[in-house]
Amino acid sequence: MLPGIGTLIQDMLWCFCQMKGTIEFGSTEADIISTVEFNHTGELLATGDKGGRVVIFQREQESKNQVHRRGEYNVYSTFQSHEPEFDYLKSLEIEEKINKIRWLPQQNAAYFLLSTNDKTVKLWKVSERDKRPEGYNLKDEEGRLRDPSTITTLRVPVLRPMDLMVEATPRRVFANAHTYHINSISVNSDYETYMSADDLRINLWNFEITNQSFNIVDIKPANMEELTEVITAAEFHPHHCNTFVYSSSKGTIRLCDMRTSALCDRHTKFFEEPEDPSNRSFFSEIISSISDVKFSHSGRYIMTRDYLTVKVWDLNMENRPIETYQVHDYLRSKLCSLYENDCIFDKFECVWNGSDSVIMTGSYNNFFRMFDRNTKRDVTLEASRENSKPRAILKPRKVCVGGKRRKDEISVDSLDFSKKILHTAWHPSENIIAVAATNNLYIFQDKVN
Amino acid sequence: MVGGLKRKHSDLEEEEEEKKWGWGPAGLRSYQQALLRISLDKVQHSLGPRAPSLRRHVLIHNTLQQLQAALHLTPAPTLTPEPLFLGEEDFSLSTTIGSILRELETSMDETEHPPNPVVPPGIQDDEALPQPDPVFLESLSSRYLGDTGLDDFFLDIDTSAVEREPVVTPPEPPHNLFCAPGSWEWNELDHIMEIILGS
Repeated sequence: MLPGIGTLIQDMLWCFCQMKGTIEFGSTEADIISTVEFNHTGELLATGDKGGRVVIFQREQESKNQVHRRGEYNVYSTFQSHEPEFDYLKSLEIEEKINKIRWLPQQNAAYFLLSTNDKTVKLWKVSERDKRPEGYNLKDEEGRLRDPSTITTLRVPVLRPMDLMVEATPRRVFANAHTYHINSISVNSDYETYMSADDLRINLWNFEITNQSFNIVDIKPANMEELTEVITAAEFHPHHCNTFVYSSSKGTIRLCDMRTSALCDRHTKFFEEPEDPSNRSFFSEIISSISDVKFSHSGRYIMTRDYLTVKVWDLNMENRPIETYQVHDYLRSKLCSLYENDCIFDKFECVWNGSDSVIMTGSYNNFFRMFDRNTKRDVTLEASRENSKPRAILKPRKVCVGGKRRKDEISVDSLDFSKKILHTAWHPSENIIAVAATNNLYIFQDKVN
Repeated sequence: MVGGLKRKHSDLEEEEEEKKWGWGPAGLRSYQQALLRISLDKVQHSLGPRAPSLRRHVLIHNTLQQLQAALHLTPAPTLTPEPLFLGEEDFSLSTTIGSILRELETSMDETEHPPNPVVPPGIQDDEALPQPDPVFLESLSSRYLGDTGLDDFFLDIDTSAVEREPVVTPPEPPHNLFCAPGSWEWNELDHIMEIILGS
């Protein structure tokens, strides 16, 4: 079913589908999921974790025999993408945590994805092997070489079926190009290049070339003491291979055209909303820092996430967003505490649904929020173990901001700030969502589906 | 700040609950100084085995600058004279933080050399970094907060006003002397120095 042809938030009935992950007492910090991404068909769902592992789930094909298992995601491949490293020169550890995974569009039987930690991007090939050659002339079935003088006849080796094996191999390693921490990678629509962005620079790579990259954005000041702004996210336009955007810690977005110059330090468009003087505080800048930027599938809009809101911008209007959605405005009066406990620096991501009509982002207490752009309705749902019975319908949650708390509401002071939903993903064409809650991955489906 | 953080009763929250702030000049100043304290804590604890998050560092640095500016602008609630000491000290902190950033840049930049076919002209000379202050280098490498050598950080701060002499009852200070012992400023400065010196 294609969403967007009349699927409004009020018509969606999200129900629990699956939960993947470790049970609480068996998990470690390495199991914390740090990125989630569907591939372009939605057949595969990849997660990366703090321990540098990538787990890919594959959706089961429809089967007449097991109708109830239709659409279930099961583990397809698991591999260690990045290892912890130590930079002896600077005496610094390089974390193996996977910051981002991005899929390449499928061009043959194999799947390709990019995964990155703070310093190094890797291109992985995930392929299936379900046949093996048998009947070699020069070696026997165990692989031992045969004495050529004993060979009296020749035969043609044949391929025989074997148990399906999925193997992941690193095809390219793009290293040594980032001094600062990589926060984003984005595959270009030309499918030949991609970009990687760190705090101060953005580099353009060709998939075939690992020992060179082009620096296309550099905001590092000559004197680091003058540094007041960093790059927080970057993404290529979905259709125009010369266009990309990057967001900053000051709440601005710059759109650049690579055709204008080799170094895109001068933006083509500059998106910034004027500050509301009535809301000004010492935390204004911190909460305006954009943690994620995503183009709509149509390419006409960009969505940004800052600490308290999600905003939708029209590419043709730079002076303010066309839509602003409050994610958890009740936190505005708690900013001091959230600054003290560091939560104010949490980087939430945001996603579009397949038809760009609904946007989703995470919050605290394992809550996540959806906003319907057409009806302006919104809903708060929770990824929790208690709601994890098969096909259990998720009940909307509500946070009580003051006054009398209703029975099933939760008060702001009871929110668990250690349970944060930073990473979510929406299937490209169906109403299936993946929500990462610390070390567990929840998959929810619209019951109408 | 890691897992299990359901609700942290910080000093700040408790004070908020006790309605200590008020929003008169004294309350505002207290609030600003509490933020300053928290921010300094963060700067001090931001170094670890891993390279610190530049984003977080820059955001805290910018917040500190705002706080410094506000503290300069907000008049002292009790005594007339400008709290010059506080201002100088803030400046020193700003310099410290700036130096930390510079030092971070040094440590991060050392092996920056991908062969880049398109090297924009402006980039070439940013590798000639200023030599990092050996005091800072040593302090950073020893996770400066917990180590000795911290005193060297603040050589330019005049601590004479807050050094505790064994004399119990100093002579009656002139009324317009800034930072008379026992005054509001004395207590605040003492508190701030405590934080900086990590005691």
